[in-house]
Amino acid sequence: MTEPTRSDGPTDRALDAALRRALEPPRVTEEFRERVRAALARAAETDLAELRARLETERRETLARLEADYIRLKRRTLAAMVGGAFAAGAAAAIALPWMTKLVGPAAPLAIASIGAAVGITIGVSYWLRSRETVT
Amino acid sequence: MQSAVADAASRDRDIIELLRAGHADRAFEELLQRYEGKIYRLCCALLRDRSLAEDAAQESIVRAWKSLKNYDGRAALSSWLYAITRNRCLTALASRRTFESLTDELVEQTPAEPTAPAEEALGTGSERLRELVDQLPERLRQVLMLYYFEERSVGEVALMLGCPEGTVKTHLFRARAALASELERRGLHDPEYWMEIAS
Repeated sequence: MTEPTRSDGPTDRALDAALRRALEPPRVTEEFRERVRAALARAAETDLAELRARLETERRETLARLEADYIRLKRRTLAAMVGGAFAAGAAAAIALPWMTKLVGPAAPLAIASIGAAVGITIGVSYWLRSRETVT
Repeated sequence: MQSAVADAASRDRDIIELLRAGHADRAFEELLQRYEGKIYRLCCALLRDRSLAEDAAQESIVRAWKSLKNYDGRAALSSWLYAITRNRCLTALASRRTFESLTDELVEQTPAEPTAPAEEALGTGSERLRELVDQLPERLRQVLMLYYFEERSVGEVALMLGCPEGTVKTHLFRARAALASELERRGLHDPEYWMEIAS
């Protein structure tokens, strides 16, 4: 405690004592304490609500991104299938005369079998690769 | 003010430790217990109006709670807390549109000529004295009130108002001188009279 600069005459001492009496510190009431506690609880709720809203927004954004990725994948798969089918048709049309000469009337069956075998091989290898990626 | 700041910093070391350990809630509980009254009294001294002071103190405490996780320890915890409270009081004063300058310029002004109610309208000696204190320039009044609110600790008043201890002492000296001269002018400078009031 530091005493301020002052003269210590009887008037000063008397005034100091009178001021001490007149300027009593205001007491914190129980009502005020309750108000503060209620305000803090409200602020905490607001904070939680803000956190919840932020998490909700993040979740919505993640879902939208996943949805967009899924649609893109579906489109790519479809495009690959259509492309593959056209390529297989073209290859069969080119190979049919040569196969007819080679195996006779069973050529379409042979081409279909070869096509099925190639398709199954591609499918199985892709499946195996994707399984390795997952594990 | 350095020693007051150092004292306050060592006083609040336990709260800082709790904060560093991640116990923000316990730290705030401790802080509230220690500073609730001081914040309230600072608001009372700065704003005069009791209900306005209660609002400002409440908002300061809520603001401190919200900002506690961002407290970086650069300033003493008490200085940080008092700065929040002073800012809140300034906002309250501005919004009430009766904002009076809190700068030291006011200190240079002499106390207003007595515009107080007639002597007979004033009550007891203590009330009379409070009236006179209310008529002091704003900064002198704040310092004087806080000085008696805070058990006559100049260091604590300096921390609360964010000014050097020397300034607080000067303001106290001027406030006392202004009061003494006003009492003399009113013929109330008899020490016996004031000792009677004090007893």
